[in-house]
Amino acid sequence: MRRALFAITGLAASTTALVVLKGSPGATQVAQNLPTAQPVNPSGPGVDPSADPAAPAADPTGAAPKPSGTADAPTSPKPTKSSTTRPSGTKTTAKAPTAPKTTTKAPQSTTRRVTGPTVDTAEDYGYVQVQIVVSGNKIIDAVTLSLPSGGESDIHSGDVRNKYNGTGGEVVQKQSANLNTVSGATATSNAYKQSLRAAIEQAF
Amino acid sequence: MPPALTRPGLCRVEQIMGTTITLDLADDLPPARLRELADDVFAWMREVDGRFSTYKPDSEVCRFDRGEVLLSEASADLRFVLEACADLWGATDGFFDAYATGRLDPSGFVKGWAAQVASDRLLAAGAANHCVNAGGDVRVRGFSPTGEPWRIGIRHPWDAMATCMVLAGTDLAVATSGVYERGRHVLDPRRGAPAGGLRSVTVVGSDLGVADAYATAALAMGAAGIGWLDRLTDHTHAVVTDDARQFHSTALPLTV
Repeated sequence: MRRALFAITGLAASTTALVVLKGSPGATQVAQNLPTAQPVNPSGPGVDPSADPAAPAADPTGAAPKPSGTADAPTSPKPTKSSTTRPSGTKTTAKAPTAPKTTTKAPQSTTRRVTGPTVDTAEDYGYVQVQIVVSGNKIIDAVTLSLPSGGESDIHSGDVRNKYNGTGGEVVQKQSANLNTVSGATATSNAYKQSLRAAIEQAF
Repeated sequence: MPPALTRPGLCRVEQIMGTTITLDLADDLPPARLRELADDVFAWMREVDGRFSTYKPDSEVCRFDRGEVLLSEASADLRFVLEACADLWGATDGFFDAYATGRLDPSGFVKGWAAQVASDRLLAAGAANHCVNAGGDVRVRGFSPTGEPWRIGIRHPWDAMATCMVLAGTDLAVATSGVYERGRHVLDPRRGAPAGGLRSVTVVGSDLGVADAYATAALAMGAAGIGWLDRLTDHTHAVVTDDARQFHSTALPLTV
């Protein structure tokens, strides 16, 4: 962790840091993975409501793995840049494989877990934290790490499970084919327009 | 899918009420008649916006809220909306509350109602096959331009470009309320705090204004909203919880 922080500071400080990075290629990876991990986390279910659902990284079920894969691409120029400033040619080749390693790693790990932050559901309801398991672009499982305890919320959950007549409990999936229109929450954002446009284009 | 240029009818999109209104007329009518029908629909939507916008200080709803317009002086539309909101407040145990924010804001009913009225007028004018989408609230009647029942996707609550369910029908009002676009804007009127537990609520019925209000109310109820929706005899529902679980009525007109 300290190493990672050191690496970040180093990157920011540019040329001076290259010396540090040269010594620890592992730290470089940690530091560069951070930006991809961070946007994914707020996407956990029931997290920051203001999180733009259009942002591909903020999407627990969507193509998040791929954008993170491509986000790794800019990491390769960095080692290259550092290697050009370095006199040693052997280290350039040693560095180059490390960067692509991150790129190849991302598509390989088809199943990954994304943990949302603890979210205050509302006063009196307590906190909820959820972890989802993503395979490809589908959520295959969702685990509740912490649940509100006691009080009204327990009664509510019990009510739902005991008396519900509908079908329920399965993890939400993606489905679409030849739609005429889309029903969704009101939005003024570009995301809505994009979705609407996509639906129209698909329909005609 | 037919080629874009050979389908009958007309499709028009406009930005009104701070959102997107889409009209799809599927009847094979003369182009001039279709344009006339579409003009009427959008003129009505703009009229509603002018009258009910809470963002326009000179709208009737704002003037009424400030006491500048008395109930006896109010337009028939405003009186109808106020009465409907009062009924819905009772029907939802107070969870649909046009005064939840501390001032009069009937938007949770008005958008769906406006689209419902537009659809009713189209039907009366002889355009029995159409789809009106007012910012995600959908009213369909008859058949789509391909001659099949209308196919309505329910937006995936975590992906604006995907849908999580597909409904099909020839006479449906489908309203969806969710926290994914404007944040937790729906308040639990009993606590004055943002509602939690549900990410998206879709209600299907015959009146889009009522469906819209029910969806908003259930979202405000949180997890208890699922049980409340389940007890409605004349509406079906689909709910996605904050932990990405999906619940729906067995009678929901789902298709693949």
